[in-house]
Amino acid sequence: MKTVKTIGINSNQPVGRGFNFPYDIAINDDLGKSRIIYLLNRPNSATRLGTRIQYFTFEEEWIGEFGNPLDDDEAKFTRPVTLDFNSKNQLHVTDEATDEIKIFDSDGNFQRFIKLDSDSHRNADQFGPAGIAIDSDDFIYVSSRYLNVIQKLTSEGRVVTEWGGAGSGPGEFEMPWGMDVDAQGNLYVADWRNDRIQKFDSEGNLLHIFGESGVAIGQFNRPSSVAVDTNMNIAVADWGNERVQILDEGGSVLNVLEGDATLSKWSHEWLDVNLDEREARNRADLKALDLPEHLKNAYHEASQTEHKFWGPVSVKFDSDNQLYVTEHSRHRIQVFEPVNLK
Amino acid sequence: MVSTSTELIIHLMNRAGFGITPDELDACSLMTYEDLVENLLNPSESAHISDDILFRDHVDLHASRSGVPAYWAYRMISTQSPLEEKMSLFWHGIFATGNSKLNNLRTLLNQIEMFRRSGTGKFDDLLIKLSQDPAMLIWLDNQDNLNESINENYGREILELFSMGVGNYTEDDIKECARAFTGWSVANSEYMSLMAQKDSIWPYGRIVWHYDFKPGIHDVDNKEFLGEAGPFNGDDVIRIICNQEATARFIARHMYNFFVADEVPVPQWKDTPPKDPAAIDTLVEAYFKYEHDIKSVLRVLLTSDFFKESRYQKIKSPVELVIGTLRLSGEYNDDSKVDSSIFGVIAESDYMGQALCNPPSVEGWHTGEEWISSGALVDRVNFASQHIGNPDNDGVKHILNRIHADLKNDTHTIGELIESCGNSVGITRISGDTADGVLDLFTQEEVQTNGQDTDIAIEDGTILRVLEFMVSSREYQLC
Repeated sequence: MKTVKTIGINSNQPVGRGFNFPYDIAINDDLGKSRIIYLLNRPNSATRLGTRIQYFTFEEEWIGEFGNPLDDDEAKFTRPVTLDFNSKNQLHVTDEATDEIKIFDSDGNFQRFIKLDSDSHRNADQFGPAGIAIDSDDFIYVSSRYLNVIQKLTSEGRVVTEWGGAGSGPGEFEMPWGMDVDAQGNLYVADWRNDRIQKFDSEGNLLHIFGESGVAIGQFNRPSSVAVDTNMNIAVADWGNERVQILDEGGSVLNVLEGDATLSKWSHEWLDVNLDEREARNRADLKALDLPEHLKNAYHEASQTEHKFWGPVSVKFDSDNQLYVTEHSRHRIQVFEPVNLK
Repeated sequence: MVSTSTELIIHLMNRAGFGITPDELDACSLMTYEDLVENLLNPSESAHISDDILFRDHVDLHASRSGVPAYWAYRMISTQSPLEEKMSLFWHGIFATGNSKLNNLRTLLNQIEMFRRSGTGKFDDLLIKLSQDPAMLIWLDNQDNLNESINENYGREILELFSMGVGNYTEDDIKECARAFTGWSVANSEYMSLMAQKDSIWPYGRIVWHYDFKPGIHDVDNKEFLGEAGPFNGDDVIRIICNQEATARFIARHMYNFFVADEVPVPQWKDTPPKDPAAIDTLVEAYFKYEHDIKSVLRVLLTSDFFKESRYQKIKSPVELVIGTLRLSGEYNDDSKVDSSIFGVIAESDYMGQALCNPPSVEGWHTGEEWISSGALVDRVNFASQHIGNPDNDGVKHILNRIHADLKNDTHTIGELIESCGNSVGITRISGDTADGVLDLFTQEEVQTNGQDTDIAIEDGTILRVLEFMVSSREYQLC
């Protein structure tokens, strides 16, 4: 799969253009203009400063941002995790610290929130909403990091059904994270600490389990996100292995991506006004990987180069089946051609 | 009274770890002292809070953009192999490398991880790894050390501060040493050092550095170093250094200072003899007997009489005080999620004078009495009393329950309560001043006449007040 482009640039500012530990994106193709990307930043664990959603076009035209801790109480985030649009172009964002799904319009105006309830679970004082996926009928699926369950909600937040529980058996979870719904309404869950993807029908019946713990092809190390394209190809953010694996509908691995970033438009603009760095950079070989033995693993190889994925936390497909890989530790999105494109 | 073996266990865990909780003390009491030492030297596994949880909750820790002190603090608090962390801290204080110049914390964290892996191995191997450590190379400008234009910085410091100490080599030795290390550099050194100088994160965040030997700028000619001659490179120079008695004495004195008793600061070592010359001789002998193996020297040290008799002769460093208190208070023991307050909490160590990853200079921190300024002492006392005085902390709840179980009857004397509280926070020898201070907490008239024999009701509030006083005492500042 070839790289289409790289989007973004790092920024350590709490406001304005540039990414700072991006955690997830949502893509909106339905606004009658350019494709718009909504990106969640989750920097600075100590202060939360800079936590916000930025939105911009595929061509890297900056539009705006919202949800900053400096915003009013309802709109701001504490520990947001994932986001998805419903059919009405309303952006839903989970916040695992406040047990809420916050809902915004496509201009970033706060509309309302859904409060998630852990009261029915003994010994649980927090729900911890992590992943979110919304189906074509606007049913909301949310994964609970602390309760280890999946809840299916109406668009108003009423619980329709719930399944799962803590464990590693079929249908159980350990700290589930990202999710997606395919064209047939089936749900895929990144069962993070069980190192696998579980596929369910819309009522929570288990259909398939993909993967197991490990570093070999077809194995996963803490998968954080899963996405399914219109041809039922499955992309898995194999977060701990610093790669993305593409599976077919039956779970066979079609492709393994390790990243091949190029300079984004914003990066070019920055280097154009920082000539000393551009010249030194041009003399460097940032793909060099003659590492000592103790650094020969995916994490260190990613950290010591620039083109490879480092912290590929989120995978998403757009309506053209292009794949977007968001890397929190490289502060960018790498976009790839559709799977199987000859 | 506690038994001598209990006192020894507490002493060992204070020095080779970060103190001991009452439950850990129970477990350790079932083992011989020698087995405890072996367990510390050879931990079965390096159990600690998992990186995946840390990185999921605090994604900025994944790239170590910031928060490395907090990350390291989590390791020190949660580890079941405390000597591993203590040795990392030991070497971090000697091979002091600061992020203030590097602006690349992940590279510095790789150095700390190298200390964790190699800190108890052969000293020669550790010095080679240090000399190939990219954080150290940039910290001391060795990327600018070229065959045609040497930069003496690393050559000087490896002799003065990392191995032999002032007075044991000549200025010519420094130059020759620097020549041997020409070409020991980092990959893409021009770009990486420029990004460090400019503190640049653009375009895609920091790139972590790795070692790169550049033969084109390495001086291959003959060198004369410490009485030997040859076309030495860095490995040869390190071999020669590690065979020097001055090196053995320098490392022995550092180990004595860190584990046994506070010495004067390193710059005074040239003119001030060691506090216990016989102990240094013992460690020097072990260094050569065991072919420079640091673990073997440590074993000799930890099982020696001079170590066992050195209780309360050291002032806890800020990191020791903070981490020891947090291990006791149990605030960060939930391994299923990470508490953001750790970032602020570890910063308290900075205010007390020890900022992890940012030593004040290449000389590292001065220890002993220099930890105690009037401001730092207030910070230390406040920190310990706030954390041990909070009954919401899991570790404190546990201590309360244990004291209630220990003092089964509702009424006991103040003296019994003092002893129980002291033992719970690792204080086995309570001074008269401290005991008198506790008495002042009580308002009953009979305290005036009966003193520590006064009967009191054992209630949570009373226990907490005594615990707070205990960790505010002089004894708690020492180990």
